[in-house]
This record gives sequence, structure tokens and C-alpha cells, in this order.
Amino acid sequence: MRELNEVLEDWEAVIGLEIHTELTTLETKMFCNCKLTHDDEPNTHVCPVCLGLPGALPVPNRRAIEYIVKAGLATNCEIQKHSMFYRKHYFYPDMAKNFQTTQGPVAFAMHGHLDLEVTGRGAQERPACAFGEAEAASLASASAGAVGLSADLSRMAGEKGSGEATGGALAGLSSYDTASLAMAERHADGSYTVPIRILRIHMEEDAAKMVHVGGEEGRIGGAAESLIDYNRCGTPLIELVTEPDLRTPEEARLFMEKLRRIFVTLGISDCSMEKGSMRCDGNVSLRRRGSTKLGTKTELKNLNSFKALHDGLAYEICRQAEVLEEGGEIYQETRHWEPSRKRTVVMRTKETADDYRFFPDPDLAPFDLTDEFIERCASEIPELPDAKRDRFERDFGIKRADAEQLAGDPATADFFERAAAGLSGKAAQTVANLIVNELTGYLNAAGAEVTLATCGIAPEQVASLARLLAEDAISSNQGHEVFALMAETGDDPAKIVDERGMRQVSDTGALQAVVDAVLARCEDQAQQYRDGNTKVLGFLVGQCMRESKGTGNPKLFNELLRESLS
Amino acid sequence: MATSFDALTAAQLAAGVASGTWSAVEVAHAALDAIQAREAEVQAFVQVNPELALAAAERVDAARAAGEALPPLAGVPVAIKDNMNLTGTRTTCASRMLENYESPYTATCVQRMLDAGCVPVGKANMDEFAFGSSTDSSAFHPTNNPWDTARVPGGSSGGSAAAVAAGMVPLSLGSDTGGSIRQPAALCGVVGMKPTYGAVSRYGVVAFGSSLDQAGPFGRTVEDVALAMDALVAGGRDAYDSTSQEVAPSFAQAARAAAEGLAGRRIGLVPAFMDAEGLTPEVRAGVMRAAAALEAAGAELVEVDLPHVDAAIAAYYVIGPAEAFSNLARFDGIRYGYQEPGCTTLAQQSARSRAHGFGAEAKRRQMLGAYLLSSGVYDTYYYAAQKARTLITADYATAFAQVDAILMPATPHAAFRHGEISDPTQMYLSDMYTISLNIAGNGGISVPVGLGEDSGLPMAAQLVAPAFADERLITFATVIERGCAAASGEAVLGVAPAFAGKGGELA
Repeated sequence: MRELNEVLEDWEAVIGLEIHTELTTLETKMFCNCKLTHDDEPNTHVCPVCLGLPGALPVPNRRAIEYIVKAGLATNCEIQKHSMFYRKHYFYPDMAKNFQTTQGPVAFAMHGHLDLEVTGRGAQERPACAFGEAEAASLASASAGAVGLSADLSRMAGEKGSGEATGGALAGLSSYDTASLAMAERHADGSYTVPIRILRIHMEEDAAKMVHVGGEEGRIGGAAESLIDYNRCGTPLIELVTEPDLRTPEEARLFMEKLRRIFVTLGISDCSMEKGSMRCDGNVSLRRRGSTKLGTKTELKNLNSFKALHDGLAYEICRQAEVLEEGGEIYQETRHWEPSRKRTVVMRTKETADDYRFFPDPDLAPFDLTDEFIERCASEIPELPDAKRDRFERDFGIKRADAEQLAGDPATADFFERAAAGLSGKAAQTVANLIVNELTGYLNAAGAEVTLATCGIAPEQVASLARLLAEDAISSNQGHEVFALMAETGDDPAKIVDERGMRQVSDTGALQAVVDAVLARCEDQAQQYRDGNTKVLGFLVGQCMRESKGTGNPKLFNELLRESLS
Repeated sequence: MATSFDALTAAQLAAGVASGTWSAVEVAHAALDAIQAREAEVQAFVQVNPELALAAAERVDAARAAGEALPPLAGVPVAIKDNMNLTGTRTTCASRMLENYESPYTATCVQRMLDAGCVPVGKANMDEFAFGSSTDSSAFHPTNNPWDTARVPGGSSGGSAAAVAAGMVPLSLGSDTGGSIRQPAALCGVVGMKPTYGAVSRYGVVAFGSSLDQAGPFGRTVEDVALAMDALVAGGRDAYDSTSQEVAPSFAQAARAAAEGLAGRRIGLVPAFMDAEGLTPEVRAGVMRAAAALEAAGAELVEVDLPHVDAAIAAYYVIGPAEAFSNLARFDGIRYGYQEPGCTTLAQQSARSRAHGFGAEAKRRQMLGAYLLSSGVYDTYYYAAQKARTLITADYATAFAQVDAILMPATPHAAFRHGEISDPTQMYLSDMYTISLNIAGNGGISVPVGLGEDSGLPMAAQLVAPAFADERLITFATVIERGCAAASGEAVLGVAPAFAGKGGELA
């Protein structure tokens, strides 16, 4: 198979994502009062409602509606005041009622967008030919409707009998499809920004969790027995569907990362891809550059990490290109990404479209959200990652990439703000460096149980360490050492440095004495330097460091040596 | 001197228990005796639960002995339709599918009757999953009309109606999706009320058509039905049913208000209904007796038109089956209910459990619903039905701008014989007068108006009120009840003669 960058020169990948997020921070399920849990004993948080027992009725969780409204507002969606729940029918043991309660053509949030900044190596996945006017035609021919992202959705949108906002919201849908296309803007350094449109975010309930024991691994077919845990059944779930505006795996990864940062900041979910509380399916098809005819798409599952999302899509793009270049045909099918073998395999083929027999759920009255409700949700939205990134960059003068990373997680951002309080420029950047490199590295190494909140490292300690570094009181190598000692002992960095005599000597008088002693001892090397071999300076600085037992400021040694030898 | 249990109303029984004339346990025994003496001929019950009944009665007696204030229906035996969950009983929906299904919780409407002091004696027979108008589609046995055991009691709440008409209980609960309370009440000569959709919680009542279903009471007098209604709405809106609404418990008061007469009140008659093909002369005469009673009390009779009501049956047989298809999808033989033995795959097990667990009518309605909701025909049927629903609802609203209530037949004819109507579509037509209320959501009550001159069987009139004006139904029905009694010289229609005094006595 050819390399991704090569393939994308010839082929355009049209990618759309469907992202499910469990609202894990809610206390109770979507339609009953059962507690939301991840790890409790199976089937300990169930009731007639989430078990779908005869006669039970759903009552919507008001807080879940608040959460989805916030998610919609934070992703620039229009909040639909009038919407309702529908029933989506299919038979499977993980669906207690054999229908899923989900939303119809009108979702709580519709027609949003997120702007991606694609920089560095990832930006090179989108070839130069994929910018400008060609892109407008590409986008116009790949709206959600054209791709058939959700055939049921289109069908429902076409039906007049839903009783939902006639005209209004649905009329908006069609005008939206052709307006404000997601044109990428390319910068001189090869980086670019691109708006990715969001078709909708709707509310639904999760199914139960199934465990298949024996037989083929993890599949119901051939399993000796299949166990069902209804603790998860009825978990509030929001599904975000993008327009197929994404063109590279990198963009898909960045979109997912960005969305995750927003949802974590909103506090609506723990957004754990590992635990499955945030799950992403990728739809991808290829077409020749310049073509406006869409290819057949495949749907990718098991993209349960950012890396899997990127690599799975990249593989699938290359696979499709190979098939097409060999004159083969792409089948509309669902494929499973196998990270260990770095390939996708067929899960099921969609020969006929499923008929889910959608109709409005008569047990749930239509929603009429008030302006006050929406305004209150808006007022509760904290500063979002983009705004925070811009503020960090502006107010603290730190690098944009660092600002982006710090702003992406509320706890980290808060930590940074406290550690960098009153600082700017070099000192603030030093704080940022310590958090982005030292602290994050430390937490990653410490395992999942240790978090920023529980690791015992205070912002004041990091600020203190940053001051020592910014003042050149210690070298960056020493900084690394002090950080480790600080994490281990909980002591203040200044105390550690003093107790261990690590403070760099920056007194030029004392340092000059060291320089003089070294030059006296190393006459040969001194002469070599005078003869033009400047490389030898490093050796002499090293001798000075050794002479000073590591406490001298290497930069000052450098300067003093040059002066003495000139 | 011993008093026959079946001669007493719920109001009288509760008063007797409260005053100490009888203990609740004595009343429960009398009810169980009455059931035992009649059940072989009537077959109103799917289960009789003596232990449950006596335990509840003992609690009432203990409360009285402790000097506690008794709730309004303390010690009154009640039969529960078998699509309502009640812990300690099976909830079978008269289906093989749920033959052994133990209720894991108690429905709100049942709980409210219990809270009012009622003593549950058993679960009443019904058409399977409430699909029918005869109770003949029960998977277990038919129920016989106490007025003529060769005839059906109507349905789907046929067991609930027959138990009251035969004097086995003074009160029962039923559910009404297209007439399933009002039609059997009419055919059995008892009072049956379908409140406005949302007035009574649906939580725990096994759903048939979620936008149509409404639970309500049967009794032999309007006053008893009023007392049951007060019990059902006491406690306010049910937090477990998001479509339920707060209703004031003013029904007993509304019954008393009948004494004030109906001066200034306007009652609508729909000419198209009174002249409809299929309406028997004796039913028409019965409705006119009711009209005369209302007029005699001072009400003015006014003609009103419901121009789109003809579409109600068609709309109903789209919406009802569509919702039923959805609601009954959960019965797949996996978690509970009938499970076909010996299956080797999941698909086989679901398919065979459903094929053999459901009866013919239940399968017919689900297949119809699955078809009506499928993507090719959705607009043709489901959307058209919703449009008809909007128009019919508007028709009623327009009519109620002119009148306080509308009087109409409850059924086109008296009780029919078992097996007399074998064509399902003919059976569907027996609901022609009741269905439009479920479509529009309004409440209605079926009240006896004496016996038919041709058949000698009970005749009834139906009153319809604006949404959430159900207390009016009680006032007007009380006037009809008294007017017809005065005209015929008898108190009320009461227990079917063949069963009156046939067992169950209170000392």
C-alpha cells in the first residue's frame, strides 16, 4: 500500500464523524432515577424503567437537557427550542425495550462548527492542491445529505407528519447545507485553519453492555453465553454528527481532541475514550481529486483513542485507494480497526438500509425550551478552551501551542493560572514548560490513579521552581532533578536547592577564580582556542563545571572563558 | 339480619367499615364468597388473590383498631385489570407471553386505590394485551356477560365490567384505549369512565397505545365511580408519568352537585351519531331517555357537529397498531415472558417466542403497526392519521365552545354473542362511538339507561366533556342515573338479575 501523503495527492478523502459522549458527570440516568456508574457490580443500578419492564414510562432528566444545550452552545450550534424524542426500533438484547429513545429530525442542537488549527507535520497531510477554489466545489458536493450520512435522518427531515416545527428548523437545514462552506485558510508556514461544520447534536439513551463469553472473541456469534449488564442501559448519551468536511486523518484527530477539551471544560463527561464514555465512528470515502462525485463510504468502528482514530482512518484511506487503483470496488460496510495488526476488517455489510420505523415517542411530551432556560445554560458555560488559549497567549506571553495544551484541561489550566499568577514573558513560559513537560510527564508516568488534584504538587511549588530557573539559580538539568525531588518529598524547590547546595553560583568574581584555575591547568586547550579551534570551549566549560562541583552557572562560565581567552 | 354483599355500593361498604358495622376482613370474605359463587359462570378473573385481599383488609382493621383515620374507600374490594402491575400478583395481560410474569412493582393507579383503602381481590380478565372488544381474545378463557352468559361482556376490560355487574366487587379498574372501559360498561350495565388523557397516571399499566391509553374505574353507581376517581387523582400529578397532569379530587363533590339541577347547562347531540347506520333503535331510545333526563333537570339540548369524526376509526387503526408494535417489541422471550425452548440462535428464540407467545389479534396488530411505520408508507398512513387526529381534536374543541358536554351512544348495539362477530373489522366497528375520544384525548363516561326493549339487555349513554372537565361527566351522569331510575321505578340497574344475591353475605 502507498503512503498516506502520497495517496492524498491523488485522492480526496471525505470524512465525517459520529461521536457519542456519555454524560458521565450526571448523577442519574436519562429517563429514570438510577445512579450512573461505570464500575459497580453488574445489574445493581436498574429499575423497571431502564429495564424496559412492561408498564414502565420514561421521565426525562432535566439536567441532561441542560448539558446538551451547553454542548450545543459551546460548539456554535443553534439551540432548537422545539424538539421531541423518537423511538428507533431494532431487536437486540442490549436494548431493553427493543427500541432506543433518541431524537428525530430536529435535535436539541443543530448547525454548529468548530474551527481547527492544523499545524506542523499533520498539516502536510492536506496537500497544497486541496486548498482554494477546488475545495469549494468539493465541499458543496459533500454535504450530509449528499453523503447520506444518516439516511433515516434525511427521511425524517422529509416527513411533514412529525408535528415538529414545520418550516423553521427544517427549512433552516436545507439553507444551511449550502451556506458558509468549510473553506480552509492556508498560512505561509503550511499550517491552516479550517471550520468543520456540525450537522447536529442529539440526545439519546445508551444501551446495556454485553459480554460474550466463549466462542469467537468478543462476538455474539458462537459465544457460549452472553451476559448483559443493564447498569449502562439508559445512560444519557449525546451524539454529535459532523458534516463530511474533514479531509485528513489529522483533521479528524484534531476535531476529536478539540471536542473532548470542550466537553471536559463544560464538565458534562469524563470523556474517556479508553473507558468508552466517548466513542467515535468514522465514515470515509475516496474520490479522485477534482471529482465532485462521492465514492462509496465505509464506516469505521473501534477508534477508541486519538491515535486509533488517526491511524484507522489513514489505513482505511490507503486501503480504499489500493482497491480503487487496482480497479476494485468499495462496498458499503462497517469495518473494525485492529490496532495490534494495524488494519481494518469487515464487521458487517449493509446490503439493505435498516428500517428503524422512527416515530415520535408518545410517552414523552415535546420540548419547548424557554429563552430563560437557554440563557441560564449559556451563563453557566465556563471560559472555553479557545478563549482561554488566546488569553494565556496574550496575557502571559506564552507559546500558542503550550497555551492550547494548558487551556485544554480545566484542572491544568487552573493550575497554570495559579502557578503563573503575576508572571509573564520568560517566567510564565518557564511555568508553562514545567507543566507541559515535567508535570505532565510525571503524571503520565504515575498512572491513572494519580491526578493533578491528588499528586500533592502545588502551583506555588512550580512557581518557585520556575523562579529558580528563570533567575538562572539552577540549570535546566538541575530543574529536572529538583522537580523529581519536589514530587518525591513535597518540599519547596528553593529549600531543596539550598539544602543540597544546588544553587548556581552566578557571582562573577567567584566564577572568574574557577576560570583562571582551569585555564592555568589546561594551557594546551586554551592555546588551541586562541588558534581558532572554538569547539574546545565546550571542554573548558565542562572543566569549569567540574571545578565548581556543578554549582557554577554554565552560561557565565562560557562568557568568562571567552573574555579571558580573547 | 344478613345483608347481601352485592346489594351494597362502595360508598355503603366503606361507611360500614368506618362505622364498625362490618370489619374489612368480613367484607373481603364476603367478596371472595361472592366471587366463588359466580366465577364458574362469569369467569371474570384471571387470578383471585385471597391472601392478598385478606392481608390488605387486616391492615384496614388494624388501622381502625388503632384509632387511625380511615381513608375514603377503606375495606372496599376492588378488581384490577390484568394489564396493571400489582406486586404479589402476576400481570399476564391475558397472554401466554406473560402467563407467569410476576409483577415487579405496583402501578400508580393501583397504588392509589390501595392508598384509598381498597382491598384488591384479584386480576380481571381482558382481551389479550387489550386488543379487542369482547374479551374473547384472552389466551386463558372468555368472560361471560352476567346479563346473558351466552354473550360477551365487551372488552377489552370485560373482566372488570363483568365482575362489577355480577356483584363480585363494587369497584374495578380498567383501561381504555379505544373504548375498553366504556364499551364493556355499556354492555354489562355498569358505569365506566375514561378520564381525560393524562388525568390518571399510566405508570405500571402495560402499554398498548401510549398516546391513547387511559385507566379508569367501573362501578354500579356514578357515586362509586366518583369516589374511585377521587382516589385515582389524589396525590396529584405522578412523577413517574411525564404525560400525567394535576387534577383536583372534586368528583364526589361533582356527584352531589347534580342535586342543584342543570339550569343553564347545554348538552350537545350529534345528529350524525344518532342517525348512524348500525345504531339499533333500542340503543337510540336509551340515549334519548338520557337526553330527557338531562332536559328534565333543566339542561338545554343543542345539536352539534363533529365533521371529521368519521375518520376516527381509520386514524385509530393506524395510531393504535403503530404504538402497539413499538410497545410490544420488548416481549422477545429473552429477559422475561414466554421463552420458546430448544432454540439455537437468538433470532430463532425471539421469533418463535413471539410467534407462540402472542395470540392472533396481538400478532395482527403488531404486524399492521410494523407495516404502517415502515419507511415506504409512513407518510400515507401515520402522517395522515396524525392529521386526522388534529382535525378531530379541533372538532371537539369547536363543539365545546357551544355546549358543556356531548351526549351520544356508547356502543351501537347491545352485547353480542360469543363468536357472533368473527370479522376483525366488524369487531372494530363496535367501538365507533368510543374511539374518537381516545383520538382527541377527552374524557367520557358510559352510564346505564335501563334495559333495551328489544333485547332486554342493558343499554347505555355516553357523555363526553372537554379535556380536564371530567367532573362534569360525574354531575351529568348522576342526573341521567337518577332520571332513568325515576322513569323506570327502579333504583339503579344494579347487579345482573341472574347473579343478584347469589352468595357473599355480611352479618
